[in-house]
Amino acid sequence: MSTKEDKPVEHKTTWKDSIYNPRTGEFIGRTASSWALIVGFYLVFYAFLTGFFTLTMWVMLQTLEDDVPKYRDRVPSPGLVIRPRSLDIIFNRTNPKQYGPYVRHLESLLQQYNDTIQEQNELCMVNEYTEQDDVAEKKVCQFKRSLLRQCSGLADATFGYAEGKPCILVKMNRIIGLRPRGEPYVNCTAKRDTPLQMSYFPTEAKFDKMYFPYYGKINHPKYVQPLVAVQLLLAKEDYNTEIAIECKVEGSDLKNDDDRDKFLGRITFRVTVTE
Amino acid sequence: MGYGRSDSYRVATTQENKDVKEKPKAKGADLEELKKEVPLTEHKMSIEEVCQKHNTDIVQGLTNAKAAEFLIRDGPNALTPPPTTPEWVKFCRQLFGGFSVLLWIGAILCFLAYAIQAATEDEPAGDNLYLGIVLSAVVIITGCFSYFQEAKSSKIMESFKNMVPQQALVIREGEKLQINAEEVVAGDLVEVKGGDRIPADLRVVSAHGCKVDNSSLTGESEPQNRSPECTNDNPLETRNIAFFSTNCVEGTARGIVISTGDRTTMGRIATLASGLDTGKTPIAKEIEHFIHIITGVAVFLGISFFILSIVLGYSWLEAVIFLIGIIVANVPEGLLATVTVCLTLTAKRMAKKNCLVKNLEAVETLGSTSTICSDKTGTLTQNRMTVAHMWFDNQIHEADTTEDQSGASFDKSSETWVALARVAALCNRASFKANQESLPILKRDVAGDASESALLKCIELSCGGVKAMREKNKKVAEIPFNSTNKYQLSVHETEDENDNRYLLVMKGAPERILDRSTTIMVQGKEQPMDEELKEAFQNAYLELGGLGERVLGFCHALLPEDQFPKGFAFDCDDVNFPTENLCFLGLMSMIDPPRAAVPDAVGKCRSAGIKVIMVTGDHPITAKAIAKGVGIISEGNETVEDIAARLNIPVSQVNPRDAKACVIHGSDLKDLSQDQMDDLLKNHTEIVFARTSPQQKLIIVEGCQRLGAIVAVTGDGVNDSPALKKADIGVAMGISGSDVSKQAADMILLDDNFASIVTGVEEGRLIFDNLKKSIAYTLTSNIPEITPFLFFIIVNIPLPLGTITILCIDLGTDMVPAISLAYEIAESDIMKRQPRNPARDKLVNERLISIAYGQIGMIQALGGFFAYFVIMAENGFLPSRLVGIRLYWDDRSNNDLEDSYGQQWTYEQRKIVEFTCHTAFFVSIVVVQWADVIVCKTRRNSVFQQGMRNKILIFGLFEETALAAFLSYCPGMDVALRMYPLKPSWWFCAFPYSFLIFVYDEIRKLILRRHPGGWVEKETYY
Repeated sequence: MSTKEDKPVEHKTTWKDSIYNPRTGEFIGRTASSWALIVGFYLVFYAFLTGFFTLTMWVMLQTLEDDVPKYRDRVPSPGLVIRPRSLDIIFNRTNPKQYGPYVRHLESLLQQYNDTIQEQNELCMVNEYTEQDDVAEKKVCQFKRSLLRQCSGLADATFGYAEGKPCILVKMNRIIGLRPRGEPYVNCTAKRDTPLQMSYFPTEAKFDKMYFPYYGKINHPKYVQPLVAVQLLLAKEDYNTEIAIECKVEGSDLKNDDDRDKFLGRITFRVTVTE
Repeated sequence: MGYGRSDSYRVATTQENKDVKEKPKAKGADLEELKKEVPLTEHKMSIEEVCQKHNTDIVQGLTNAKAAEFLIRDGPNALTPPPTTPEWVKFCRQLFGGFSVLLWIGAILCFLAYAIQAATEDEPAGDNLYLGIVLSAVVIITGCFSYFQEAKSSKIMESFKNMVPQQALVIREGEKLQINAEEVVAGDLVEVKGGDRIPADLRVVSAHGCKVDNSSLTGESEPQNRSPECTNDNPLETRNIAFFSTNCVEGTARGIVISTGDRTTMGRIATLASGLDTGKTPIAKEIEHFIHIITGVAVFLGISFFILSIVLGYSWLEAVIFLIGIIVANVPEGLLATVTVCLTLTAKRMAKKNCLVKNLEAVETLGSTSTICSDKTGTLTQNRMTVAHMWFDNQIHEADTTEDQSGASFDKSSETWVALARVAALCNRASFKANQESLPILKRDVAGDASESALLKCIELSCGGVKAMREKNKKVAEIPFNSTNKYQLSVHETEDENDNRYLLVMKGAPERILDRSTTIMVQGKEQPMDEELKEAFQNAYLELGGLGERVLGFCHALLPEDQFPKGFAFDCDDVNFPTENLCFLGLMSMIDPPRAAVPDAVGKCRSAGIKVIMVTGDHPITAKAIAKGVGIISEGNETVEDIAARLNIPVSQVNPRDAKACVIHGSDLKDLSQDQMDDLLKNHTEIVFARTSPQQKLIIVEGCQRLGAIVAVTGDGVNDSPALKKADIGVAMGISGSDVSKQAADMILLDDNFASIVTGVEEGRLIFDNLKKSIAYTLTSNIPEITPFLFFIIVNIPLPLGTITILCIDLGTDMVPAISLAYEIAESDIMKRQPRNPARDKLVNERLISIAYGQIGMIQALGGFFAYFVIMAENGFLPSRLVGIRLYWDDRSNNDLEDSYGQQWTYEQRKIVEFTCHTAFFVSIVVVQWADVIVCKTRRNSVFQQGMRNKILIFGLFEETALAAFLSYCPGMDVALRMYPLKPSWWFCAFPYSFLIFVYDEIRKLILRRHPGGWVEKETYY
């Protein structure tokens, strides 16, 4: 009975009312002041949370040291990488446009190994760790680009790419405090039945102990990693085929056979040179 | 003529058969059909006509050939079980309902992504394949779980399926045969005897003292006579029809089967009831609403980030993988299983309290109930006539009617009482059944009608030794009760050996007994009946009648020895002894008394805002008396008639609005229009429907539902089953209920006690509250699951939390604490508040989302991110280095990525750090969820008020922590789930945030309590 009387007074509720209801002044179900309150609350709340988060982060960062990370157990052993940075090196030896990027990449990497720069660094005792834990200013052992001979890019600016005998630079990842035992050297093999001629520079393909340990970006800003260059002496019959090459660090305690990590102390890459 | 008629009847019956088949299709027609009376005509036909109609012979029965023919024509004599959904459909519903669709989409996207990767890359990462398999497994496992849970609860019903009498004695070709009841066909001549179940609808052709119990059909528990005469036009009330599946209590009868199986009265009602569409339960609606919200959020976030990532320049494949991550993070995978478990736990708890829940979702429905339409007999009352009052010595004495005899007693020393008790014991054909000496008197079974049983028990209780008394006072003659005399008398020898007089005892309708009395016994002395005493009698009679009680008068006389010497032959047919000028002894009145717990339960319902409506087939006066007795009509509330009587004005002059209570007669109800009915239900808080037919119950239920109420209905008869089905929650009676009513109901009261419903209401309300808490708890962890993805995409940091770890939270660590919240005790008296308004009080509302997502969830996310940044920084990647690193980080060919300290990392090395971060983020979520579960224990109270007594919750805290530790430290987890052992200090990263959650929410709840109705309550009380 009463509903019948009410009905004419009642306005039709449409879907539009759910966005803006002119009778109550509600916008998406809230009045302006209600919106202001809730938005204000959330602003204050989130500002507080941001402050709290910043505080905890600040406290955490205070516990860290600037030069050495707190934990290094996740990088017990270094990875091995090559330059040019590609696992598939494909080029036509007669086409500079194709090998140009590789050459420029090597050149830019070797800039810091320029003899002029390296001569400012010190000569260190061969086959001995350069221990300088107690020294405030860490010295850097010199690694001259010229050590890489044919692969230094000094004599042959194309690093052998134009000849079809490309140079590959092998380097080991920097890890603070790493002291490899034994005499780590790089050994590369072609994954095929017949062996592939290669020459290594420096000739013994060794990462000398004098370049270890590394003291970190802050203490050791000018540090340069030792490099090993491998020149693939491809013969005529090796062209136009893909050759898989595996390089490993051998002769030391550094891991090179991890199941999961295919780059720990080793690297596999493919080279295809066309004529 | 006979042929013509029989043909037309045949047409009529086949027509009717067609109707039955078509009914389930049209719901409206169903209800209309149901409200009509049963279209039976056989009771009005002569036996010969019935025989002719069914081609049978009154002596020989059917021929075997005819029987076989009819069996083929009509099918077996069994009720068609209600249509059930095939099991595989139910299974599929579980497999593709709820969140499953989203997860399936996620799984399909995973497989798709893997397929694309497999086609384009040489060494596709197995991650997506793996995740796809895991997601599919999750959906299938949770689907199976819900399916089996549901199957388990529906198994309860299996035991009730046995609805048909097993054997029947039929006469075919003149021979008596014991056949399977399913083979009985129309026209069969059937014999039934006491203890049998009627095998089909019968037209009685001959009967010897046959009584049937029609309670399963009509709700009337008193056995009714059966004889060949048609006594009423209404087939339900006539004596010459016996109904399928009712019981023959005593005597024997022979009848012709007039209909079998679904065509019987019982079958029609069962078919009609199963055709009623009931709609979704309130909790199902709530869960659907909640799934819509969550799905909406998931789809919105998923699509917008999919578009965003395309805009940001990610590849399609990456965008799809992000989409999968967002879906997985958004969907609370374990939540529906949690809800199912919570409901199951409550269902079990309710079963212990005598509420057997058939449909899990009905657990909560009882909690939302705002109106209960209750039966009187058996539910509110003890279903046992009991002597309530006596009038002798010009005084009304109250008898003890409580179930356990704890009530007050009366003075038993009066001589009048001794005489009255003797008459009540002797003039009584009821007797205890054998071998029940060990049982308390009230629990013993009695052979005899309800009033006599009541008298028997009353006397046995107060005097004892009725059997011995009857042996001493041998019965020599008896005139049984009949409706013309309205009295029953018997003549006995006296117990005194020397006294050779005979004792005549008589009981019956009080006014008749008074007419036959000239004296009255007061304090053991016979006095002449004077006007004063007559008036006293009238007053007492009126008063007891006004209480709705059945009143009987008692008198006796010692017959003079000279006229009736020992050995006198009393002739009861041609009465040769005086039946007048007797000595009046007193009145005894009986009622089916209310159950002891009911008034309290009704009071609880009232304070819980639940309207209790009584619907009964009984007389209005009795109904009103019981309603007043149990508080359905509360003290001080008057009906229109009461007001009229008090003010001494005609009923028509009373403003109906003045009367809060009303008693409505079934015949008045019939004439009410829908508007009048609504008006009636709206304007009266206390309503009693008396003399209603069970069909009218349906109208009452519909009326209440029209007004928006969630209605619970109790019922036991078959005719109640449509109302039970129509109600939001139908409650059948476990003891007195018929199978059909149990079939139609959602819940079964094992003890038939109304008070059990109240426990059910309490449990239902509690589980609704606790489900809110459980959902708030579970949803909170969605934010720390989603935000890592969003930051991964937007600020290009390495992924802080992986999809596998998300699944570990949703399906692992969050499960037990979420379930444990179902064991939480109520915060306040939940029976003191109004029932929830289904339109307004949602299970999941915007306030719950605001708290879970906007507030607690955000704190949790920060806790997780903090742990992530700690691990990254401590391993060498400071936050400044991380932002924007993602592209290099996830580049497999980049194996010398430099950290903040100048170290270089291979892909695999930094991924291990990343997965360690996932583990730490996961552990942090566990840590902040500790605080969350404690916070979610209460919605208003402080945890210090609520206490930590929930043992399951404490177990849950330890369990989730142990599980997290196991996942982190168990060897092999790095391969299986890519989870890595954490350094002990990393466990503590999230502790400040956990603490913050606790403090924040305690403060919020403190303000909530301090300022009821304030802004905090409006915005955050879920």
